[in-house]
Amino acid sequence: MKWIASDIETYAKEKEYVDTIVVPLIPFGLENNLKGTVSAGEYISIISHELERQLRGRLLLLPPFTYLNSEPMEEKVKRLAEWHNEVIGNGASYVVYLTSDVEWKNAEDRLEDTLVWLPSIPLEHMDNEYKMETVSTQVKQVLQIVTKKWQNSPK
Amino acid sequence: MAKKNEVTRRQFLNYTLTGVGGFMAAGMLMPMVRFAIDPVLKEGTEQEMVPVMDVSEITKEPQRKKFKVDQVDGWYESEVEQSAWVYKDEKDEIVALSPVCKHLGCTVDWSSNAAYPDQFYCPCHGGRYTKDGVNVPGTPPLAPLDVYKMKVEKGKLYLGKPEPR
Repeated sequence: MKWIASDIETYAKEKEYVDTIVVPLIPFGLENNLKGTVSAGEYISIISHELERQLRGRLLLLPPFTYLNSEPMEEKVKRLAEWHNEVIGNGASYVVYLTSDVEWKNAEDRLEDTLVWLPSIPLEHMDNEYKMETVSTQVKQVLQIVTKKWQNSPK
Repeated sequence: MAKKNEVTRRQFLNYTLTGVGGFMAAGMLMPMVRFAIDPVLKEGTEQEMVPVMDVSEITKEPQRKKFKVDQVDGWYESEVEQSAWVYKDEKDEIVALSPVCKHLGCTVDWSSNAAYPDQFYCPCHGGRYTKDGVNVPGTPPLAPLDVYKMKVEKGKLYLGKPEPR
């Protein structure tokens, strides 16, 4: 389910079925490598929407966790922990972070939840057909990570 | 001469003025009327049928076929990828099922769970459907999978909108 009013209505009603929260981690900064930052963010947002489409009944896609490129990792981890507490405190069992920012990989052991890191693929020059193919193969792999988590502790 | 030509100057002016006036009025009114009845003139907003695959490719085993449809969402128009499970049933009739689970809308997969071969399985909450798309009682979904409107033309399968049964 997406972070939109009509989906949230369903979420509120069917809360017991929705136990997984997906948070895209998207960096922001206007100084160097502007285009790289943007396209990595765009890629993750496409992937997370596609993931939501496949598994919409059991996961809630939150608005992205955004941060300045220059924000120290300590700060980010601390802020993200607050998000974690908020959603876990409200009945979610699994939290999945999606990012293509490699810095998170170094902080993975400090996060309490699953971090899925995907190398970003520049989609803007691909034709539509190929773009969809690429996204769907990538999403398939993320799907497996998520469904595996579910199988290990069925609800 | 005056008798033969019965149009007087006054009449002539009257006719021409009404004529020209009429054209002007029509010129102004036409667009207004068009605006007023515009929704009637618009072609049906119903989704068109999209070619999906060759009929000869359809097997007894459900195949996942993807296709794109234009979707208008408020003021935002986009191409959305949709998919369908397409197969031929025992009577050799083509069936195209929507993969959207009737429980909470996840995407179901064909015989993806080893414990339930030959069934549609929803990875989210374990919803199951038999091959004809009917929900298995005791699993979360409460309705059978939607069926696509379809037609066959020149050996190609066209799909329209999924419709609930």
